[in-house]
Amino acid sequence: MPTALCKWCLPLVASLWLVGCSDQNWRTTDISEIMPRLDFTLVDENAETVQAEQYLGKPTVLYFGYTHCPDVCPSTLSRLSAATRRLDEALRDELQVLFVSVDPTRDTPEVMDRYTEAFGPQFIGLTGDTARLDALTNRYRVSYEYGDGFPDASYDVTHSSAVFAFDRQGQARLLIRDSDPLDNVVADLRRLAAQG
Amino acid sequence: MPIRDTLTRLPRRLAGSLLALLLSSGAAQAADLDVSEARLRLMPGDLPGAGYFQLHNTGDEAVTLVGADSEAYGKVMLHMTVSEDGMSSMHAVSELEVASGDTLEFAPRGYHLMLMKRAHPLAVGDEVEVTLEFAGDRRLPVTFDVVSPRSL
Repeated sequence: MPTALCKWCLPLVASLWLVGCSDQNWRTTDISEIMPRLDFTLVDENAETVQAEQYLGKPTVLYFGYTHCPDVCPSTLSRLSAATRRLDEALRDELQVLFVSVDPTRDTPEVMDRYTEAFGPQFIGLTGDTARLDALTNRYRVSYEYGDGFPDASYDVTHSSAVFAFDRQGQARLLIRDSDPLDNVVADLRRLAAQG
Repeated sequence: MPIRDTLTRLPRRLAGSLLALLLSSGAAQAADLDVSEARLRLMPGDLPGAGYFQLHNTGDEAVTLVGADSEAYGKVMLHMTVSEDGMSSMHAVSELEVASGDTLEFAPRGYHLMLMKRAHPLAVGDEVEVTLEFAGDRRLPVTFDVVSPRSL
């Protein structure tokens, strides 16, 4: 019987382990069942047209904003930067943060390149024309709106403050809010990055 | 910053606090106003920066913050971020009253100074003087520490 026992032993342990794993709750909001996989066509910091598929293979964080935003956008990106710095080096290098500007009039690829560099090597700036931005923002049910002065003078952009996280396959996994404690964000990003 | 420069620019009533001001950057003190944790987040290029600080009114009377000014920037505005239904927007603020004993907090995702049109290049680690303007023509120069967006 020892052989028979062992034959069952491994799958049993494995299935228990898997059950244990799926029972473990994410600390930020699980959006696996609600949001679609990552999909976009945008322009990168080198003014090249890029597709979401090119960013698969790494856990990915997605955030919408604009560079003339003095308070909220840098605060959120700074918090993400702090979160990535708390990951082990190997995991940190794996993660990528896509900062999508909804203000393409002012946020040229050059501006985006300098901006994202200020936060760290994991930060990648993307933008696009209105149709492509709308396709992406509608996909994740977020919105943006230009304030007085657009497009000639100084203007503000009202925008979603949500941060989305995707696994290596591009499946939507998490919604991270400003109100989520940094420890929870770090724990979830670590778990996401550790997944195959 | 050379001491002589600082002396000529500071109002007389602040001279007594000069030592404290020189010893602790990111701060300012007057008889009844105490500013601490004054930080300016420097962004690349001509992008606007944000100023954060805590203003404690230790006096017996309320004070009203009405604006800010700096030689290092063409324009400084009092702003507030409003978050509603997952959307963030920004509004200009014309005045903010600080009651006796209260602390007014300028912090990320709330009140902030929006600093626009930088007059000359700045680097992380620099100090920038920003004058807080109060009702009654009162002015309080505050030394802000210039910090990286990665740290704030």
